[in-house]
Amino acid sequence: MPTGFGREFNTQYQKCEWENAEYRGRDYQDAIYDKVNDRIARITFNRPEKRNAFSDRMFEDMFAGLHQANDDPDVRVVIMRGAGICFGAGHELSSPENEDSPPIHPNHNPTMVDYYGFERRRCTKWETITDFPKLTIAQVHGHCIGASQMVASACDLIIATEDSQFGIRGFGNLHHGVSHLPIWPFWSNKAYAGHIIPETSGKQAAELGFINRAVTEDKLEEETLKWAGVLGQLPSELIAITKEWINGSLDITGMGSAQQRSHFISHLTLQYVHFRPYEVNLYKAKRDKGLKGFLKERAISATPGTEK
Amino acid sequence: MAYKNIIYEKKDGIGYITLNRPEKLNAINDAMLEELDAAFAAAEPDLEVKVVVVKGAGRAFSVGQDLSGAETSEVLLEPRKPISRKKQLEAERRRNRRWEYIFNLAKPTIAQVHGYCLGFGCHLAMVCDMAIASEDALFGDPSIRMGLLSGMPLWIWLSGIKKTREFLYSGRYITAAEAEQFALINKAVPKDKLEEEVLRLAKGISLLPGDGLANCKDGINSVMEARGLGEAWRFTNEMQLVMQQHSREPGEFDFFEVRDKKGLKAAIEERDAPFKDFP
Repeated sequence: MPTGFGREFNTQYQKCEWENAEYRGRDYQDAIYDKVNDRIARITFNRPEKRNAFSDRMFEDMFAGLHQANDDPDVRVVIMRGAGICFGAGHELSSPENEDSPPIHPNHNPTMVDYYGFERRRCTKWETITDFPKLTIAQVHGHCIGASQMVASACDLIIATEDSQFGIRGFGNLHHGVSHLPIWPFWSNKAYAGHIIPETSGKQAAELGFINRAVTEDKLEEETLKWAGVLGQLPSELIAITKEWINGSLDITGMGSAQQRSHFISHLTLQYVHFRPYEVNLYKAKRDKGLKGFLKERAISATPGTEK
Repeated sequence: MAYKNIIYEKKDGIGYITLNRPEKLNAINDAMLEELDAAFAAAEPDLEVKVVVVKGAGRAFSVGQDLSGAETSEVLLEPRKPISRKKQLEAERRRNRRWEYIFNLAKPTIAQVHGYCLGFGCHLAMVCDMAIASEDALFGDPSIRMGLLSGMPLWIWLSGIKKTREFLYSGRYITAAEAEQFALINKAVPKDKLEEEVLRLAKGISLLPGDGLANCKDGINSVMEARGLGEAWRFTNEMQLVMQQHSREPGEFDFFEVRDKKGLKAAIEERDAPFKDFP
């Protein structure tokens, strides 16, 4: 089925994202794949000048890296990290018109079916990382926002610097059913209550159990490699089966639905949001004032007590 | 039933089940399991018992399944044992039905935890409605280190996603303070206050009407059911079966082989050695 974006959207069985990304002969650019040692592979988001914002190319390189790590029988753990000053700033907001990263330019004027296909492809990315059969660890420093937080959340474990910043700007953390949040309501009420809108520091996230460990910046790499080294001693098959059991149980709690259907639908719905004249409209602000102007306007509108 | 491996007593509306193999740190073998079944089954319909306290005699609550392999065919399904899939599945079902039964017992249950509370012991504390632990208590589920599946879905329901993964992939110890932070237990208290605290809680509960308690418990548990817990027990049965059949990578540590050759102590040491530096 055509998506209206020059791609095919298969309604029949489709390979998961990383199976589709070819690593043989790949020239890794926006994300770099390397091996720390036999057992530990590493994917480094490599657009530091763009704060590692996701371009299509970066997604493809990342998935190719996962594909390569999956096919390498020695690899047991995959670390994901960002080059430069942060883990990642999320989707590229200034991406070219035909890219997967938002915003979908209004000029595309997609039909509902096209848009649903597009969202389905975009939102399924997180789940294929969640269900990657080997152990994944996100090594987070600096900002880890939006889509970058989704990638980190989809990893099995997160180790971050104390002053790193998690969050999704523009929407609440709950918006996407982000999987690092504890889901059991008694627990999550406590956690959600204060964290629907604001950003969360690494230190706070560790205290709440959103992430596994917060350390000072100079210890981050050492700590991550220590975890990877120790957990990399477990046979892959034990990890894969245990992971399947944990993730399957999470699906039973509704996580699969949160990551898929409700995620598609909420994005789809967002496409039809109407902005009131005094609200910050990304498309309009971008057109009139450029991306930086939009970001500034959004920051002002999100800060109580500031006048426009 | 004449109890040998546990002590079952009741006093002032409170039933006490004490795991009683202190010389083995209350390792749970088939005989103890059978007695546990009998004690819970006796407490449930007993109108003199309003609340059940589960605790351990000696230095620990329980170190978990008896790993010795002697009289443990029910508590411990060793990987790759040549028994039929049907028998394995039946065993897994029995195991999870047992946890589910204790979890849904029509009386409130309190685990009083001190010292080690590992594997099956930890699962037993988890299926109790509440747990109070002394500050020296150490929780943990090292199943994966022995090529076993944890098999306790409540981890996910209680501790959240990221912490569950950390605990189960590493099999590491969890201190009482951490267990409190991540909702495995209700409260960590100083060692000399443990009994007093549990008694205070149990006494308070024992003053309430039994039917009301049963109803309240059912209401709370039904919320967990609504989040899919019932299905998760069943799914766990299947995944246990898959884990039983995992293949062996060349050079992979085999806990049960080492145990049979060098003894249980050596096997446990060898099992835990790679993880001693775990942060």
